Amino acid sequence: MSRPRSFRTEGVVIRSAPMMEAGLMVTLFTREWGKLRAVVHGARKPSSKLVGHLEVLNCVDLTLHRAHPGNLDIVSQAQIVEAFPALRMELEGATGGMYMTEVVDGFGAEGSPNQEMYQLLVGCLRALDGGAPRDHVLRYFEMQVLDHSGFMPELQLCVECREVLQPGEHLYSPEAGGTLCPLCGMKGQQVYQMSVNALKALRYFRQSSLEQACSLKLEPQLTRELTTLLSGTLKYWLDREIRSRTFLERLA
Amino acid sequence: MTGWPVPSAAPSVARLIQELNKLPGIGSKSAQRLAYHIIKLPPEEAHMLAEAITVVKDQVIFCSRCQNLSDTDPCPICTDDRRDPTQVCVVEEPLDVLALERTHCYRGLYHVLHGVISPINGVGPEDLKLKELISRLDGASVQELIIATNPTLEGEATAMYIRRQVGQLPVKVTHLARGLPVGGDLEYADEVTLSRAFQGRQEL
Repeated sequence: MSRPRSFRTEGVVIRSAPMMEAGLMVTLFTREWGKLRAVVHGARKPSSKLVGHLEVLNCVDLTLHRAHPGNLDIVSQAQIVEAFPALRMELEGATGGMYMTEVVDGFGAEGSPNQEMYQLLVGCLRALDGGAPRDHVLRYFEMQVLDHSGFMPELQLCVECREVLQPGEHLYSPEAGGTLCPLCGMKGQQVYQMSVNALKALRYFRQSSLEQACSLKLEPQLTRELTTLLSGTLKYWLDREIRSRTFLERLA
Repeated sequence: MTGWPVPSAAPSVARLIQELNKLPGIGSKSAQRLAYHIIKLPPEEAHMLAEAITVVKDQVIFCSRCQNLSDTDPCPICTDDRRDPTQVCVVEEPLDVLALERTHCYRGLYHVLHGVISPINGVGPEDLKLKELISRLDGASVQELIIATNPTLEGEATAMYIRRQVGQLPVKVTHLARGLPVGGDLEYADEVTLSRAFQGRQEL
């Protein structure tokens, strides 16, 4: 369904870049219309009434219109719904938020609504703002993004022989689409080692709510393993690194 | 199907259009307009433009102290005896120095980062002039570091990172006040700006 020429929606600002003399190009992830790009005229002038509302990570109530079909949407009104102020005041929180917006930017397709992913993004930003453990929130977010984008790895069966996985150490291949039993993993694919605890944690993150995921006990070694597995999966499907990960890891 | 050949610009004009098209904010139409404007200029004006570009590339260097762009090293601001060497104001870009100088209310020195930490764009601390800032503060007479990065998410992240890096040094770290712009309207101000304006309120 194509967007009307004038419409109102709620969205999270996931990116912004200067445009022309004093304008701004914002990338929004909206509840009703998915990812879209819009222009904010005069936003970088000190007198602009919109720029404060359209800061990256803000959840905003927006009114947009388009002068001609095919042109970019223009933001005519914006009002903050949630600004996540505590998140911004802390370097780790702000970087975690930027990481999530980069992932959504990568997996969200323009003009393709994905309400589950929108609710996930807002929920995870809210959790980080409320002081939830960053690693738990980010790993849960990654797992759920894969699910809502149709790239959820197989965690119950071996993706090669389709046998039910037995308790113990396994192998994991983003390219093959999930977990491999030890025998099938020997067939020359590039694979990651996967401990039984990592398998359990990924299954739990897939099924649980964010609140439940945040209460899971994660040892530092298990956190590192989950980070490796999930970042490898995101990289495989996006065909590029998530750039903010480097800075995120530096802060860890 | 054959038809009339598509008319194209002369190779030298096409090359000029191509080069102008590489400039930020200049699309192909603007590049064409600029190119034909340059062609119409009197020869001496066109040569002055070309010379200005050549000279700026040959002569402009980074000041080894503040990292600002300058014709001399150290730059005129760093060598000005009337300025207060105990204060250093950290800005994102050289243009920010000009904006602050226009206020005539700051008489300290500057440090230009040449960017801001932007994890989404792959810009990390190592891509900025941060090492130079730390080595400048270490053992120098600087008493106050004024962080004047933009009040954006990335500007704030850079400010927090600098605060963390210089935390061990005996330097007072401040940053510019956040709040309502002159001529602004409370009704249209966002919650973050208003709450920071409240936090930074002053006695009349």
